[in-house]
Amino acid sequence: MSARTLARRSLVCGSAAAIGGVFLGCNDRRIPPGRTGVSLWFTYGGRNREVLEKLVQAFNTAQNRYYVHGVFQGDYFEGLAKLRTAIAARAAPALSHVVGEVIPYLAEAGVLEPLASYPGAAELDLIPELAQQKSWVGGDAHPLVCLPFNRSTPIAYLNGEIFARAKLEPPTTWDELRQTARALTLKSGDQVQRYGFGCPISWWFWVALVGQAGGEVVERDGTVSLGGEAGVRAIQFWQTLVADGSMKPPPGRDYNAWEATNQDYLAGRAAMIWTSTAFLKYLEDNARFPVVAARLPRDRRFAVPTGGTHWVMVRGAPAEEKAAAWEFLRFMHEPEQAMAWATRTGYMPVTRSAIGRLEREGYYAKHPNDRIAVDQLAVAMPWPWSPTLFRVQQEIVQPRLESAVFSKKDARAVLDQARALANRSLG
Amino acid sequence: MKPRRPIDPYWMLAPTALLLALFFFYPLLFAVEKSFYDWDLLTPPRYVGFDNYRALLESGELLDAFTTTLSLSVVVVIGSMALGLGLALALNRPGAFASAVRAAIFSAYVVSWVSVALLWLWVLDSSAGALTLTLRKLGIPTLDWLGNPRVALYSLAGVTIWKIAGYAMVLFVAGLQDIPRQLYEAAALDGAGAVRRFFNVTWPLLRPTAAFVGTTSLILSFQVFDVVRVMTQGGPVRSTTVFVYAIYEQIFINLRVGRASAEVVVFFVVLLALTALQLWAWRGKPKGARA
Repeated sequence: MSARTLARRSLVCGSAAAIGGVFLGCNDRRIPPGRTGVSLWFTYGGRNREVLEKLVQAFNTAQNRYYVHGVFQGDYFEGLAKLRTAIAARAAPALSHVVGEVIPYLAEAGVLEPLASYPGAAELDLIPELAQQKSWVGGDAHPLVCLPFNRSTPIAYLNGEIFARAKLEPPTTWDELRQTARALTLKSGDQVQRYGFGCPISWWFWVALVGQAGGEVVERDGTVSLGGEAGVRAIQFWQTLVADGSMKPPPGRDYNAWEATNQDYLAGRAAMIWTSTAFLKYLEDNARFPVVAARLPRDRRFAVPTGGTHWVMVRGAPAEEKAAAWEFLRFMHEPEQAMAWATRTGYMPVTRSAIGRLEREGYYAKHPNDRIAVDQLAVAMPWPWSPTLFRVQQEIVQPRLESAVFSKKDARAVLDQARALANRSLG
Repeated sequence: MKPRRPIDPYWMLAPTALLLALFFFYPLLFAVEKSFYDWDLLTPPRYVGFDNYRALLESGELLDAFTTTLSLSVVVVIGSMALGLGLALALNRPGAFASAVRAAIFSAYVVSWVSVALLWLWVLDSSAGALTLTLRKLGIPTLDWLGNPRVALYSLAGVTIWKIAGYAMVLFVAGLQDIPRQLYEAAALDGAGAVRRFFNVTWPLLRPTAAFVGTTSLILSFQVFDVVRVMTQGGPVRSTTVFVYAIYEQIFINLRVGRASAEVVVFFVVLLALTALQLWAWRGKPKGARA
């Protein structure tokens, strides 16, 4: 091969990588000879990305048949958009992970690989509330298309120093939360120096509030009820806290608002926040005060939705890549990896054996914050198996939650309108 | 006169024409076609006629996006032209200092939008931002720059003006330097003061430059996306959901390719009409003027 041909090939490869940004063809040179390579598209930044990359590296060194190549693809929704586009262009990776809300949509579109017949699928020892079986209502009635990966619940994070100084306990009811938030809010004239409570005005936390107020977002018969009266109470809960100045609704939407909430907590501008258990290690590492995690309070009952993502394999991927992806998934579900992932990030271990070992080895006794999300699984609410759920979330509910809280609109009127729209256009 | 090689201009134009066809006309035609379909990329497209356009109109999304974008554009076009012209008038002088200041102001234009957005995100933070802290120290009441639905759009407009004013300034400086000095001398001899000279000499001769600056600012402000994506994600309460962000949201978050395509088509027509209108307004000569 002449130098000129090589140069031309390099140019073409470089351009293709730059234009496509996908790891196909030209990136094969990263795969050691004799191994089957598989791309894994993932959607974490920061610490969680580092942990995942180390586990990928561990898989690549633990055996010499397959090689997993991790590619960062932005946040959950950016990653999903890219995955969907790549599936349409027949250039998708064999392996990725997506939020639970879109799994029914992708499954019904027929783009997810059924996993039940892969070797060892039945012996994975998954925790039902985190797996397809109980993450969705009637999840086990559908072909298995996903495995749990980074699974979470919302939890409360308390500034241990402020709570100790004020001699206050973690609130266990909505009323206690309101009183605690008011007691911990510091004002100087009109300016709030410290908010008692912070929470992103986001669908996930609203679903938690709806559940706690005794409602369901989608009824068992598929009707989008948005919790009925419980949905209204959930919005009013936020409205009251914002109106009396004891809760800060963070600017920005989606994960930017989540990040703003984290920063308020770390900087001591919010004494207590609600966010995902996913941020546990990040907050513990970066806080200059003791981080105390607590379960979410109840209104009529205790309830939390589960969150995070599930592993999926793309049906149209080459068979040898799917085989490689499956081996990686099995590796990730071994107790060592499931434990490493959970203890280094804050997500929950997804297998019974991993939780059992952590319990026996005294990890939870030493790290009680890690136990909160696991304990909350007892009150976890399954999601409806609805291909349109993510549209109800993104198009209908999320913008109206913001308008109710930021523009102080009537909660009942907002939800009536959302419900009518959801049942008319999506039902 | 008959050209000796009549074919030459065409092959010379071919590369540009090919690129335009591939990356501009083909996607546009594709969007027009897909705007009549319900399509999510994964399942087969379903022909729905004008349903996408109807849904956008009925939900008020089109009108909201248009009003939001226009509000942003009005502030950005007027702000960037006024600031650019003011800076150009102040800095249109020889010397290394003026040149260094001009370069410093223009440098904001070459910085990436994402960097600018991240910088201003820090400046405009309602609790610990540089602007908030400075205003508080001076005893001036502050606003929730990005969290208040009534303020957020104008905060983004301010950031956009800050970013592009340097570009307007450079164009206005070039326009000012093209004006013959004799005209100012003659006007001064006729007894015209500085203000009169500006309105009777500078401004009429700057009109073509102003038309260009106005048009490019308009197009640019209609295409604003990065600052919205980084700073507000269209919120709070959709108050900063400008046209391009609405398209992004439809296609990448709601997974509705058809509806996004319908928005693209409307956006293209609106932008074309606005540009034509603005060029017509700026280039129209006063009645009786000589060519």
